Parts: sequence; C-alpha cells; structure tokens
Amino acid sequence: MAPVTTVAQVFDALQGAKAGASAFCTNFFPAHAKVQGWIDHGELLGELRDLSAFFLRKDRDFWHLYFCAANVAALQREVSAIPSLRTERVAVDLVGSEAVLGELLKVVESAGFQRYARLLRLARPNQSGQPQPSADGTEVLCADKTDCQAITDLLECAFDRYADQLPMLYEIEAAIEAHQILAVKCDRALAALLFFESQGFTSTIRYWAVAERFRSHRFGSALMRHYLAAQSAVRRFVLWVTADNENAVLKYRHYGYAPDGLVDHVLVNEMIRA
Amino acid sequence: MKALPEILKEIRPEFDFTVSSDFIADGMLDSFDLMTLVATLDKTYGISIQGTDIVPENFKNLQTIGALLRQCGVQA
Repeated sequence: MAPVTTVAQVFDALQGAKAGASAFCTNFFPAHAKVQGWIDHGELLGELRDLSAFFLRKDRDFWHLYFCAANVAALQREVSAIPSLRTERVAVDLVGSEAVLGELLKVVESAGFQRYARLLRLARPNQSGQPQPSADGTEVLCADKTDCQAITDLLECAFDRYADQLPMLYEIEAAIEAHQILAVKCDRALAALLFFESQGFTSTIRYWAVAERFRSHRFGSALMRHYLAAQSAVRRFVLWVTADNENAVLKYRHYGYAPDGLVDHVLVNEMIRA
Repeated sequence: MKALPEILKEIRPEFDFTVSSDFIADGMLDSFDLMTLVATLDKTYGISIQGTDIVPENFKNLQTIGALLRQCGVQA
C-alpha cells in the first residue's frame, strides 16, 4: 500500500468503489478532519483494487483496516489478495446492525481474521431532570497539557488498544485544547477522566475511567454528573462500550443510556493473535 | 408516502429537522445515520441513490436532500 497524501484521494477512492455498486459495502465512514489528521501524521496508507479500495491506518504497533467495495464478492476476492494482511498486525471493525453484519463477518473471517471484541453503541436522550453536579465536594477540572502523559497511561491501562480506538498523543492534545477532557486529581495525580467530543446537538463519550488506586471515591460519578449537567445544549448523548463489560454497561444504564441497535465487531488477524 | 421530515424524525426523533441548515455540523446526523437514511429513502421512494451522491453536501438540510430526491426522479 502507498501513503495517502490528500483527503481527496480517500474520497475519490470511496467514490470509485461506490460508482455503479450493486451492493456497496464498507467499514469506512471518514470525517474530513479526522482523515486530515491521519494524513498529516503519516498514518494512512491506501490501495485501489478491482471494484474496491483498502486503507490501513497506523495505530501504535498495529494497523486498522478500512475497506469499501462495490459488493461482497469483490471484497472477498480482493481482501484475500492483500499481502500485508498476512505480514502485519491488523484489526478491523465492522459496524452496523447485527442483522446486516453476518455476511461481512464471514468474508472477513475467511480472510484470516477472528472475532476479538464486540461493542454496543448506547444512546441517551437529553431528558428533563438532568443530574446535578456532584455535591460531595469533588472538584472536576478540565485537563491541561501537563496531564498528557498521565492521560495516555490511564487510557492504555483501562482500555484495550485493539478494540477501543485509543487516541494518539496529538488527539489528546487537541482534546485538551478543546476542553473535552474532564479530570479529577488527587495531590496533582490524575485520578479519573472523562474524554468526550461534542458536535452540535450530539455529544459522544469516548473514554470514562478511574485509576485503580482511586476507585470507590465516587470520582467517576462526579465526572459523569458534571459532564451531563454541562452539556445543556446537547440533545443526544452516545458512546461505545464493550458488550461483555457488564459493570460499565450497568453504570451507563444508570445514567439513562441504552443500546440503540448499532454494534461494532472487532476482529484481529493471526499476527495479533500470535 | 412518508414525507422527508417524517422519515428524518423516525431516524432521530429527538431533533427538529426543520430548524437546522446543516444536519451534519449540528450533530443531528452522523455517518451511520446517513446509511440508514439512504436505505430508507431508497425503499420509501423506490429509487436507488448512487454511491457518488452519498456525500455530506447532499444531506445538509431538507433543501439539499429534496434536490437529491428530485434528481433521482422523485416528484416533490
């Protein structure tokens, strides 16, 4: 695969695969700014193939695979013929409703990938009677640039790099700049964080975590209450959570989140499993 | 036959789509919602929206979606 140097290359490739597609299939839903960030940091490779296009995005010590194809037959034929999928560590996400993902799962599994994790999207309407910020005196702050390493460490410790799309350092810096990482600190140490992205009327929680040694202090609750209370203009709250993380799912349900029907199957290749 | 605002309301009932001029920028439709919307429009109006037309510019607001539907032969 060759480095992608412009966002237009990505969208041209997508359009090429879509044109005249009988049953277009993809796992790539690119937002312009996100793709630009990947290109600026040299993270994105791409390859046009017959009736299809494939992209690999570098993430730490592995790659995320994205594809678009005119139909499932083209995907099956071409994905099996990409040499780097046998020599590199690669993970792939398949997103959609469970009912429509069956065929894609079979295709990707036939190319050597195995199921690794399943995530659910949860959504929460902005209800009346918003939670109020915690009254127990816990101070919730916006993280600052001195917190970057601690944020990275906490995310690496609390989440799964293959399943949870952990942010790169530049994404953490941008989120701090945008005041989208809330933090609780104890003696200047990062005890807990809530990392979110808001766009218009929708806000997405990307990560919510409490460092192990600071659990049972209700810091997570303080962060969530602060976050929900502060997003007064938001009408829809969403997030992704690992389906078998019952503790997390229960906590999100407590705050009014519920599955909205979208799932994300994460599969990894033999190089990761080895 | 369902009208466009009604279809949008079924996909994202929490939003009033008549007050926004940019559904994407306002966070009212994400990329997954766009897939659902295209499938629903195809089914509702008996059309097939081409892949090359599935770009954010065509789904910014009621006017741009209406223009896309007319381009696909749907009578307004």
